[in-house]
Amino acid sequence: MSTRLSASSQDYAYEIIAENLDHPWGIAVLDNDDLLVTELTGKLRLIKNATLREMPLGGVPDVLFAGQGGLSGIALDPRFSENKKIYLAFSSPDSNKKTNTLEVVSAIYNETAITNVTTIFRASPSRKTAAHYGARMVFLEDGTLLITSGDGFNYREKAQYLDNHFGKIIRINTDGSVPSDNPFTNNPNAKPEIWSYGHRNPQGIVIRGGRVFAHEHGPMGGDEINLIEAKRNYGWPAITFGKDYIGALISPFTEKDGMEQPLKYWVPSIAPSGMTFYDGDLFPHWKGSLLISALVPGDVRRLTLEEYTIIDEEILFSDLGRVRDIATTKDGSILLATDGPGGQLVRVRPN
Amino acid sequence: MLKTPLHFVASVFIATAMVIFQTTSSNLIWLSSLNMPVTLQVSLSSYLNDLVAMNQMQGVPVPFFALIAVSLLIAFLFTRLGLTWIKINQVLAYSLAGGTAIVAIVVLMPLAFYNLDLLPGARTFIGKMFLGACGIASGFYFGSTLKDKKSPLCNQKY
Repeated sequence: MSTRLSASSQDYAYEIIAENLDHPWGIAVLDNDDLLVTELTGKLRLIKNATLREMPLGGVPDVLFAGQGGLSGIALDPRFSENKKIYLAFSSPDSNKKTNTLEVVSAIYNETAITNVTTIFRASPSRKTAAHYGARMVFLEDGTLLITSGDGFNYREKAQYLDNHFGKIIRINTDGSVPSDNPFTNNPNAKPEIWSYGHRNPQGIVIRGGRVFAHEHGPMGGDEINLIEAKRNYGWPAITFGKDYIGALISPFTEKDGMEQPLKYWVPSIAPSGMTFYDGDLFPHWKGSLLISALVPGDVRRLTLEEYTIIDEEILFSDLGRVRDIATTKDGSILLATDGPGGQLVRVRPN
Repeated sequence: MLKTPLHFVASVFIATAMVIFQTTSSNLIWLSSLNMPVTLQVSLSSYLNDLVAMNQMQGVPVPFFALIAVSLLIAFLFTRLGLTWIKINQVLAYSLAGGTAIVAIVVLMPLAFYNLDLLPGARTFIGKMFLGACGIASGFYFGSTLKDKKSPLCNQKY
């Protein structure tokens, strides 16, 4: 099942460890190198000893599988080995069924089901669209959880206002409470969970040396990777390097005082869908790089960092099609989830 | 004989130019509310950019004027047919047809794109109304250019 391929900077081989996944979206690497994979359709799958368990885990809440919505991000608690706690982000239908929103739950994992499912965040207000949820998560070193929340497409202007969760990065405690040092807790007109704003559809977020990197989909062009800091405004849609899908300008401006510039942007779009920081030993040449999975045309971008500046970009794994998510295992191999109804989970190792 | 097709092309141009103007304006008005430096020069260059870019095949696989042309053509053909049976002022009929054609685009386009409103100016009720008005203006022009101002039935004595 493995294919030999040669890259410019490293030789590698693919090993397909799971096939026929139904729109795989998020990967979590467990302590023992077992894997949890979310499927957009609402299933949580366990891959144990490199074998996909046929039965999905029970206990997963109902999700809205429509458009870009479904069971999406997954994160492990920093003390997962002790408490077996996981976090799931998904599009959740409201009781009226006409609207939906981004929801995050915590749950206790065992190999057959998740239990103690508790809602810790629901984005407000709800939306009528099924697009741009963000829905990736990462833990800061202080144990608080960052959640990316997309602009809902039709609500893009709301990314510039603090009275809603559209186009924001959210910071909460694991019980759903708001950390007292969040940047807008003293602003009565702001949602206290907001950590940064002016985002479009951020679907990759990682921590490197205590700093937060997040990338987001632009519209037609204008995908960005940003260094995220609390309270900062990342500009969408007031400043952007992208255009609307109908060709119109979203904004003629690409910069403004008080709005952050990206570390890097892509025109045309690569549709960045996931991200990991590579710190393994199997690919020594790639150590210290950010690896970004991309849907268009479908590859992985390896970004070389010097401090917090991106100095080089290399295209990898461009023969797999749309890559939905990327993760690294403890042994340093790289995991890729390919997109779509017949998705695969592919492990990349050196030859 | 050639006049009617030319008037139809002109009516397509009127609707296209007005819808694009509404798209550009709605973006710029919002940007201006954020104290972005929206000057007359920025406004003009943005409109000209949109006028060209929205009529090229980019994210949406159909140039915008073609979408409007097809929609208006269907609406005007049905109106022409309807006018042989229904007693109504011709200008009014084509105006309503033009408005309906554009509203149909605004309402139906999201169904093809995950319920997303690709036209930013169509995301509010007022925006939709304005876009409908663009279609009415286009239909008004087309109806006004036709010789026969009333349906054949209007000229009959009862």
